[in-house]
Amino acid sequence: MLSILIWFPIIGAAIISFLPVKLTPSQSRLLASGIGGATFFWTLFLVSKFNYQGEGIQLSEFLPWLEFIGLNYNIGVDGLSFPLVVLNTFLIWTAIYSSDLEEEGGKPLQRPRLFYALMLILGGCITGALLSQNLLLFFIFYEVKLIPVYLLINIWGGENRGYAGTKYLLYTAFSGVFVLISFLGLVFLTSSTFDYQNLQSQVLPFGKQIILLVTLIIGFGIKIPLVPLHTWLPDAYTEASTPVSMILGGILSKLGTYGLIRFGLGLFPEVWSSVAFPLACVAVVSALYASLVAVAQTDLKKMVAYSSIAHIAFVVLATAAGTPLSLLGAVCQMFAHGLIVALLFNLVGIVESKTGSRDLTILKGLMNPLRGLPLTGGLMILGVMASAGIPGMVGFIGEFLSFQGSFIVFPILTLLCLVATGLTAVYFVILLNRAFFGRLDTKIAYLPKVQFSERTPAIILSILIVLLGLQPNLLTKFSERTSITIATTSGTPSTPPIIYRYLKD
Amino acid sequence: MTTTITETKIPPSTHEFANVIHRLEAGGSMLPDTPENLMQIIGIYKAYAVPMDFYWRDLLYIAERVFLNPLPFFKYFLPKEYLDLHNHYAGDDADLRIWRGEATAHPELLAFIQKGETFKMPKLFHHLNHDRINMEFAEACMNAMLWHRGMGGQFDPYLDTDEYKANADRAIKAYFQGNPVMLGLYKLFPEMFIEQVRQLSYYANLGLFWEVMAPVFFEMSDIYDEGGFKGVPDAMNFLVNGIFAIAGRPIYHHVYIRGKCYEIIPKSKGFMWLYEAALPYVEAVFYRTSPFRGTKSYNAQAKQVPDEQKDFHYGILYADVLPVGTAGIPPTLLMDDMLHFLPDYLIDYYRQHCRGEDDMLIQLGITFQRSMYNVTSAVIQALRTALLYPLDDTNPKHLMANRRFFEAQMDRFKRSEARLRDIQSQDYR
Repeated sequence: MLSILIWFPIIGAAIISFLPVKLTPSQSRLLASGIGGATFFWTLFLVSKFNYQGEGIQLSEFLPWLEFIGLNYNIGVDGLSFPLVVLNTFLIWTAIYSSDLEEEGGKPLQRPRLFYALMLILGGCITGALLSQNLLLFFIFYEVKLIPVYLLINIWGGENRGYAGTKYLLYTAFSGVFVLISFLGLVFLTSSTFDYQNLQSQVLPFGKQIILLVTLIIGFGIKIPLVPLHTWLPDAYTEASTPVSMILGGILSKLGTYGLIRFGLGLFPEVWSSVAFPLACVAVVSALYASLVAVAQTDLKKMVAYSSIAHIAFVVLATAAGTPLSLLGAVCQMFAHGLIVALLFNLVGIVESKTGSRDLTILKGLMNPLRGLPLTGGLMILGVMASAGIPGMVGFIGEFLSFQGSFIVFPILTLLCLVATGLTAVYFVILLNRAFFGRLDTKIAYLPKVQFSERTPAIILSILIVLLGLQPNLLTKFSERTSITIATTSGTPSTPPIIYRYLKD
Repeated sequence: MTTTITETKIPPSTHEFANVIHRLEAGGSMLPDTPENLMQIIGIYKAYAVPMDFYWRDLLYIAERVFLNPLPFFKYFLPKEYLDLHNHYAGDDADLRIWRGEATAHPELLAFIQKGETFKMPKLFHHLNHDRINMEFAEACMNAMLWHRGMGGQFDPYLDTDEYKANADRAIKAYFQGNPVMLGLYKLFPEMFIEQVRQLSYYANLGLFWEVMAPVFFEMSDIYDEGGFKGVPDAMNFLVNGIFAIAGRPIYHHVYIRGKCYEIIPKSKGFMWLYEAALPYVEAVFYRTSPFRGTKSYNAQAKQVPDEQKDFHYGILYADVLPVGTAGIPPTLLMDDMLHFLPDYLIDYYRQHCRGEDDMLIQLGITFQRSMYNVTSAVIQALRTALLYPLDDTNPKHLMANRRFFEAQMDRFKRSEARLRDIQSQDYR
C-alpha cells in the first residue's frame, strides 16, 4: 500500500512523458495535478490506517532485492516520517497546481511535459526516501532526487540558474557522499545488513561511532543546511521557479533534519549526547546568522530563503536536545516550516509574476485593495506571523514545543534561538512594511489582477496553517509515541549531554 | 486660429506648464482635447449629476426642515415633497431652463432609492444595509466650505453680523417653542446654537450651488448624446456660459417651522450664486478641503499639514486617487455613489482598461479628476472673462495681462501633488 505512494507518481511521470498525444501546458498540468491529488488522497487514506499508539514501523513492506549488497526494498512509516510524507504529497500537488503562475505571467510554461514529469519523479523520490527502512534504499532515493531538482532549477529557473543549479548539484552530491561514507562505515564495521531495524551501533567503540556520526551530520548538515554549509541555498531557492522553490523549501530541506533524527539520533543513541551540545551550538549560530542576514536582504525571495535557514535550525536544536517533547517539537516544526515556507514562496511567486520584481526598494503599497494584491498581502501577513511564531498558527506550535523541549537541556542556547525568533519579526516586518504597506506607486499601479486559480494554493495552505495552529492535536498525535520511543532508546532524558552535566556541577 | 494670433502677438510662455497656458490662451481647457477625454468627462458628469440631484435636495431638506433637530436620525430620508421639489433650472416651470428634462428628481435616482443595488425594500433597510447615496460626502464638502472661511464674497462675513444672529435667534426660538430643555440650553450656550445655524446656512448654500450644477451636467450629457459637443473646449465653454447665465441667482437660507417660513438669510440680501457659492466652493473643495486621514499625518511635530488654511492642497485637483477604496480616503464615498450611475459607454470603456470592473472605482475616480480639471478650467476662463480681457484682444498688453493671470493660476499646480501633469497623458487611468 505504501509503495503506491512512491510508484504512482513515478509511473504518472512516465505516462506524461510518453503519452503519444501532444499535451498543452494546461492539459499537462491538469493531468499532473490529478496524479498528485490522487497520491495525496491515498496518503490520507493511509493516515486513517495508521495506529497512533503503535510503536515502531507500521504498514511495512519487504521485498528482497539485491541481497548480495544488502539492498532490500524495505519500506514503512512511523510517527516521524508519516507527517512528512503527508506534507510531501500535499506540497507536490500544491506546487504542480501553482505552476499555473508562469502561464498567467504571459509566457506559457516551456516544455511542460518534462516539467511535470520531473516534479512527479521528485515527489516519488522524496516519499521513497522518507519511507525507506533500508539505508541503501534511502541513499538511492536521496541521490536520485538530485537530478530532477538540478534540471528543474536549471531549465525553468531565473537568470542565474546555471550557477545556482550547479552549486546545488555539487553541494548535494557531496552531502550524498558523506552520508554514504557514514552508512557504509557503519555497516562494514558492525558487519550487519543495511536494514534499519538490524543496525546496532552500540557494538562499536566510542571513537568510531563519533567519526561516523560526525560524517553523517556533515552530510545532512549540507542538506538542512547548517550555517557554514548553507551557501547553496540562497542561490538555489531564489533562482528556482516558484513551484520548485516551494518544494525545495517546503520538503527537501526536511530530508536533512529527518535524516538527522532517523539516522543520527536513531543509529547512534549512545554517542548522541556527546555531539548534541556542539550541534546545538551550530544550530544557534545558524539561526542567528541567517536571521541577521535576512534583515539585510532587499530581495523578497532571499529574505524568505534565509528565514528558512533560521527556522530549520530550531529543528536541529530540538533534535540535539533529544527529549521526547523536543523531538515532538522537531517534527511539528518541520511540518509547520514546510507549510509556512511553501506559502511564503508561493506568495512571493505571485508578487513576482504580477509586479515583475522582487526588489524591496521598488515594491510599495501592494495592499491597495483595488489596484494592488490585497489578498496576497493579507495572506503574506498571515504567513509571516505564522513564521514568527505568533500563537494561533502552526508555527507557534512547532517553535513552542521545540523550545520547551530543548530548554531543559540547553537553556542558554534555547534563549538565543528565541532571539532569532524575535529577529524573524524584525525582517518580516521590514518585508511587509516595504512591499505591502505605504502608498502604491503610480508607476507600478497597473498590475494585472490575481486570478482565483492562482490564489487557491495559498488559501489552502493558510487554512491549514490556522487550522493546525488552533487544533495542533491533529499534528502532534502522529508523533507522540514515536518521539518517546526515539528519545528513550537514545536515553537522552535521563542522561543529559556531558557538557550540560559539566555546567550543572 | 487664435493660437497663431497669440503666438505672434506675445512671446511664448516659459512657465513649467507653458503648453497648458498656451492652450488656455487659445480658448482651450487644462484637459487635452481628445475624443477619449470628452467621452470620459461627459460620462462622469452624468454619473455625478444623479447623486448630486440627491445631494442638493437633501442638503436643502436638512437646512430647511431638519434644522436644529438634536437627534437627526432620519436626515438622509428624503420625504416625497423634496423628491418632487422642482429644480429651478429644469422642467417647464423653470426660472431659467438649463436642462430640458423633468424638474423633479431624476428617474435613475428614484429607481436607486427604490431598489438600490439589491431589491425593493423599505428605505430603512436600504440605509442599514448601506445600500444608499453617501450623503456624508456632501456634508464633508459643506464642512470644507464652512471651515475654510475668508475665500472672498459677502456670505461668510454676513454670518457674523448681528442681523444674522437676530434672524437665527428668531428661528431657534420658534423651532424649540414648547421645549424648555432646549430653550434653556440655548439661553446658557447661545453661540453653540448660532454656530449650528451657520452650518445649516452652508447646507443651504451648497444645496443651492448643486441645484444649478445637476441640471447643467444632465444637459451636457444630453447634448453629448445628441452629438452636440465637438471637443473638450466646447464642453468647457458650455460651462462658462452656464456660469454667466446663472451667476446672479440668489443664495439664501429659509427655514420652515410649523408651516411658517423664517428667512435667516433673506433673498433680499442679494447674495449671488457665482460669488457666494461657486467660487468659494471651487476654492474649498477643488483646491483645499482637508488632508485625508489615510495619507497625511496630523501630528503637529511632523509638520505634514500646513499651518495656513490657504496653503491647503488636498482637493480633487491634488488628490491621489489610487488609494480610493482604502481606509481614510474620503472621496471613496463619492466614487461609490457615481459607480451606480455610470453610462454604459463608460462602463465598456473601463472594462477594456486596467482591471476592468474590479478597479472601476479608481478608474472612474481618475476620470472624475480629469472632469474636475475641465470644470476648474471653465471657472478660470470665466474669471478671466469677468476680470480681464477677451482672448482675441489685439492689444499685446491685454494679452500679457491674461498671460499673467493664467500663469498665476497654473502656479498653484506646481507642487508635486498636483495631478495636472498626470492628466495630460491618456495613460493615467
